Amino acid sequence: MNDYWPWWAGAAGLALVTINYAIATDRSFGVSGAWDRVLHWRTERRVERANAQITDDAVLLEALAAATAGPLGAPPLAPASHPAAPGDGGTPGADRLPPAEASSSMARLLPAPLVSQVGLLLSILVGGWVAAVTSGRFQLRLDMGEGFRQIVTDKPTEMIAALFVGGVLVGFGTRLAGGCSSGHGLNGCGRLQPVSIVATAVFFGTAVLVSFLLWKVI
Amino acid sequence: MRTRGSILIANIITGLALGYTVANIGFGDYAELNRMFTFQDLRMFLSFAGAVAIIVVAFAVLRVRRVPGRIHAGVVPGAVLFGTGWAISGGCPAIPIVQVASGYLPALVTLAGIAVGIRLCRWANTRYLRIDSGSCAG
Repeated sequence: MNDYWPWWAGAAGLALVTINYAIATDRSFGVSGAWDRVLHWRTERRVERANAQITDDAVLLEALAAATAGPLGAPPLAPASHPAAPGDGGTPGADRLPPAEASSSMARLLPAPLVSQVGLLLSILVGGWVAAVTSGRFQLRLDMGEGFRQIVTDKPTEMIAALFVGGVLVGFGTRLAGGCSSGHGLNGCGRLQPVSIVATAVFFGTAVLVSFLLWKVI
Repeated sequence: MRTRGSILIANIITGLALGYTVANIGFGDYAELNRMFTFQDLRMFLSFAGAVAIIVVAFAVLRVRRVPGRIHAGVVPGAVLFGTGWAISGGCPAIPIVQVASGYLPALVTLAGIAVGIRLCRWANTRYLRIDSGSCAG
């Protein structure tokens, strides 16, 4: 079955998604970063509340400074540091901005709200479902398709083990590398960031190697 | 403009479009993915590479700001683990969602594995690895 989009339509689609997000939010998105924050929602909510408090205080200080004499006004507070990865939903680097700029863009420098990350993950599900249904590919099944059966395994227990172990490697690896194919691959490489170019080259190269091993050797 | 509400809406639109696009390119199809990684079919590879090329040009024209980031100790080993896991399971963090949406129920196991891996990474980084921020968000 090959009723998938031609390469140019896929390229245009992925590019539009990424460019539109950057224009709309002045941020980059990353699916592994969204997963990470949603899975650690308790901690992330605490960070979010602390940042909201600091932002409120900073806005107040800014207003007071503007109202009382400019040169002696207190410098604005930086938002509570957040460990979001480059190109993965956050906007680190607030500390590198000059104080005036940091103050005016305080909200922009905070990581994307937790609820928006939940929204991103759920809407990927809906978007994928719409695509599957409208293209006639939707089919409830208990296997991963003919390709997986031929290349990896045709035994259900081995399939479950392979999917789980593969998933753990993907989860651990993307967070260790600080991003995945969307955060590093599209957003980071699109910004020509060295860290993203290195990460993308390595994860793609490794996937090529392992795929050849699965296809030809194992 | 860039309020919590607008970011939420942007994320929802992005998620819908991303899920729709990724599913229609065929990233959720393990056979197609393996054919891409073994260069038997360049269609999906060109989709990805073409997208990056368009984004590079657009970001340069629009002067989209770069996000500071350095090549820390976790980048290469993390990318090796990710690439291995992607080739075996057929899922990067978005793809198993699309697979479940397409009816591949075993992809729920991949999602469970990803959840375990992500939590394990933050735990391991906090306790043992202690790699600076940018890794494991720990």
